[in-house]
Amino acid sequence: MRLCVAIVAAAALAACGRTATTTAPAAVASANGKVGYVQMDELVRKHPLYDQLARYDRSIEAFDLTATAPRALSADPHLREEAKQLEQQLHDAADRTQKLLDQKQRQYQLQESQAIEAALRGAGSGPTAAQIAGRLNATARQQEGGAGLQAQRDYQAFQAQVRKQDEEQVVAAQKALAERADRTFRAKSDELQSKESALSLELANEDAAQRLALRTKLSSLALDDAAREDAQKQLAALDRKEADAVGAQRNRDQQTLLALSAQLKAQVEKDLRTQVDQIHKRSIALLSQRQSALAGPASGIAGPIVQTTVVNGKPRAVVNPSLPPALRTQIQKLHDDYQKRFQNDAKTTIAEFTKTREELSRRYAQLQGVDVSAQSGANTQIEALRKKRSDLYDQITAQIDREVRLIAQQRGVSVVLTDVVAPADGVDLTPDALKDIESLHE
Amino acid sequence: MLTSFSRGKGAALAFALAAAILATPAIGATDLTDIGSIDQNALAALPQFQAANRQLADYGNSLQKQFSAHAAHASQADQQKLYGQLQAEMADKQRAVLGPLFQRAQVAIASVASSHNLSVVVDKRIVVYGGQDITGPVRDLLTGVGDPVPPVSTPKPSSIGYVDQQAIDQTPKVKAATDDFMKFKNDQDAATRDKLKSAKTDADRDAILTAYRKTLDDRQNTTLKPAVDATRDAISAVAKSKGLVLVIDRGNIIYGGTDITTDVTAKLK
Repeated sequence: MRLCVAIVAAAALAACGRTATTTAPAAVASANGKVGYVQMDELVRKHPLYDQLARYDRSIEAFDLTATAPRALSADPHLREEAKQLEQQLHDAADRTQKLLDQKQRQYQLQESQAIEAALRGAGSGPTAAQIAGRLNATARQQEGGAGLQAQRDYQAFQAQVRKQDEEQVVAAQKALAERADRTFRAKSDELQSKESALSLELANEDAAQRLALRTKLSSLALDDAAREDAQKQLAALDRKEADAVGAQRNRDQQTLLALSAQLKAQVEKDLRTQVDQIHKRSIALLSQRQSALAGPASGIAGPIVQTTVVNGKPRAVVNPSLPPALRTQIQKLHDDYQKRFQNDAKTTIAEFTKTREELSRRYAQLQGVDVSAQSGANTQIEALRKKRSDLYDQITAQIDREVRLIAQQRGVSVVLTDVVAPADGVDLTPDALKDIESLHE
Repeated sequence: MLTSFSRGKGAALAFALAAAILATPAIGATDLTDIGSIDQNALAALPQFQAANRQLADYGNSLQKQFSAHAAHASQADQQKLYGQLQAEMADKQRAVLGPLFQRAQVAIASVASSHNLSVVVDKRIVVYGGQDITGPVRDLLTGVGDPVPPVSTPKPSSIGYVDQQAIDQTPKVKAATDDFMKFKNDQDAATRDKLKSAKTDADRDAILTAYRKTLDDRQNTTLKPAVDATRDAISAVAKSKGLVLVIDRGNIIYGGTDITTDVTAKLK
């Protein structure tokens, strides 16, 4: 908003002044002294530091095209696919938990039946109890066989899924680490280039006075050959000195970048190994946990469940009323005890599911965070690049301004403007300034 | 003899003076021009402008909150209507807050320009050398006691012309060329964005960007450049016919100058 207001203010200031011109009579050539102009863009393009400026422009352009496109990252199919996979994983985890709870219920029912059978045997309740137990035993075995097969299939599916997730996580980690290293390298490279440019400019500024004196001397027609040669040698020595200093700095920077590249490569490999180990450990733990959970029902211990009836629309185990009261009480106690143990175990399973759900939610949030932080990171980098670009541009134009001022003074031009739409009869100082700017390359 | 000597001495003195003037063109060069400049950023940093900006920023924030509160429960059409309404309120507020400040600044600039015998005042950013920087006197007038006194005369005719580039951009040929190029650029941006996503190395990325730039440059040369050249020729022709030295964009003119926009747009049709 402030910027907007500043712009409004600036525009309005300009507008204020213009209203007064509407009554101005037709123009005549009234300017006292000569008015000149320069094509600043053309001069900037010929400046020795233009390559660096163009590099910044290209980097900004690349960022603009990739990172700041409207929601380009959130529309990234890879991120969308990952989000979809996480949702699927949550759904699968809920399914698995439900199945696990069913299996546990069956397991406890079997154990309970076994305990009841033992109680019946201990009580010596004759064929009636044995028949009841036998009938319920058969049903339980049938249930157990089906559950074991289902558990096996479920485990295999889970194993395949974990393996797939493993692979995807490794690829994602590899990509993230490589991108991080790439960003670090680019940042360092930009920093060093910027320093090289600054050094080059600093050296040019240091020698500017001496260079100007020599060039002025050389432009004198009265200069004899020996003096001219001497001045030229001095100019060449200045150029050599600057080029050597910048070249030496560049060599040092190259070494720094090479060392950084090697260091980053080693770091990426190390980090990747660590992350791969962690991913594998997590997967192995998941599989082993799952295997232990399935081991109980697979052992196939048979045992009767007393009887299941529906009371008020809910399934309920009821002890056979034909049994003796003491035995019924004992069986009821056994049933209540196993029910309680099952409920406690189920609580643990549900807690594990909750944990998984939280982990998946965290990863989902992280995935969204990748989008947000990537966007914000890109914006920060663009801002930093724009700042560097602006600083460099200011340095370049400041040097051009100095050259143009000298030329204007030499040619008796009173005012020099830039950003001219059309030149008409103004004095074009661009060619002279170009020569001076180009001589900075020599 | 005496007369002859005196005449010779006078001629020698005149020659010496002329030679001295010719030999020192730079001395006092900036005093010889009727072109002035102002650093607009320096004026925008004055306390009264800063306070006005803060006041507008606060008002803008309150409007933003108002919009957010209503927009959550409004249809798309109602949101647009509300947005337009709030925009108009903001514009009214800007006029109310900044209007008097601008009026005062306008008088101060005109007053200083008149007293310095200037025919035009431009933005300091486009001045590479010379001209009279009147930022200081204008700032003094704006921060001083009492209102600045308006000049009695209009600005004198200026050899610096200006055009309203936005008006020129709306002439049929220029607009057609610009629209065509912008559409082409948008298509290229989208295509390049897709290509960059699949780039695997820096070399790939550089190659894609180089091709992108070349494509745009080529298109610019075939569509925009002819329109730009024709516009520049038209401006130059009008400027010469009016005896102008240079023509700059209206955005860089603060005061005075000669407006040739109407003549140029007529020539371009």
